[in-house]
Amino acid sequence: MTTDSAPAAGDPRRLLADVRALARRVRVDQRVTWVALLVLAAVTFAAIPIDYYGLDVRCEPGAAADLVRPADASVCTTWRRGAVFYWPPALLLAYTAIAVCYVRVARARGLGTRVLPYAITGGALTVGFAAAWILARLFLGPHQFPYWVLLLDRLTAPWGTIGVALLVLARLERNVALLVFTLGYLAVVLVPVTFGVHFAWADRTEFLPAQVINGTVLLLGAIGFAVARRRHR
Amino acid sequence: MTAEQHPVTGLDEVVHQRVRLGILTIAHEARRAEFGYLRTQLDLTAGNLSKHLSVLEAAGLIELEKGYAGKRGRTWITLTPAGDVALAEEVGRLKALIARIETNPEAR
Repeated sequence: MTTDSAPAAGDPRRLLADVRALARRVRVDQRVTWVALLVLAAVTFAAIPIDYYGLDVRCEPGAAADLVRPADASVCTTWRRGAVFYWPPALLLAYTAIAVCYVRVARARGLGTRVLPYAITGGALTVGFAAAWILARLFLGPHQFPYWVLLLDRLTAPWGTIGVALLVLARLERNVALLVFTLGYLAVVLVPVTFGVHFAWADRTEFLPAQVINGTVLLLGAIGFAVARRRHR
Repeated sequence: MTAEQHPVTGLDEVVHQRVRLGILTIAHEARRAEFGYLRTQLDLTAGNLSKHLSVLEAAGLIELEKGYAGKRGRTWITLTPAGDVALAEEVGRLKALIARIETNPEAR
């Protein structure tokens, strides 16, 4: 880039190309995507023992439902007590940590950051799902819901809100790689793959495979973005 | 802009300059940018960059904020609302100019 004035109608294409290239470079320099994914992966893995030990399972003999134990034909209802108490504060802390990390890294690189709308969206979604869970606990009994309700439930669960908030981050950063990753992550969350893993000893393990997979996807994403960042530098 | 008016007539001399346009672009995209970052990205000497910053500051397009990182002095550059508008207008005029050249090569 020179200090010469561009001729009035001289090279607008090059000038515009320079503007776009500079904007792209700044956006890349502002990103700390791997940190966000690493924090979210850590929060997801830390939730596993809390969800396991905090799960309230009550089984009674009764009519057929989705949680029927074949052995004694009893109907089990589950209440993810641990998850309700763990996820809201954990996610709020995670979004705060991510925002602080983004600001510090960007400042060290000599830049401002665009992370605040992401942190606010994440916080709002966290409050939203906590309210939805409490309302569901208060007003909804054990029913068989249609598939679209289950999809909505997964989308408003902590793992789903992580994905929705990541979509906002991808938009803010205009990060196509993060957008593609997040769409893949959301597909995994919305259509949980368990590989048929379900341990015999209790209904407590029902949620484990999906949580392990969600955490692993986030961790692999963090590693991938960290490697890409290192290569870029 | 009227149909008869050539996009060049609306160009702002303060903004329509490669380095100053670069400064505005970085400050817009980064929300705020540090002097050293601008110097590296635009490949300028400190004195040269300072001159361009003075021009933009005098035109009310940027604000300079001096601070410290430890014992090191740092200067942060922020775009003013007028700077935001000026950048958007300049990019719009460049696009109009390109469109005019592409649709009518005689207009060069």
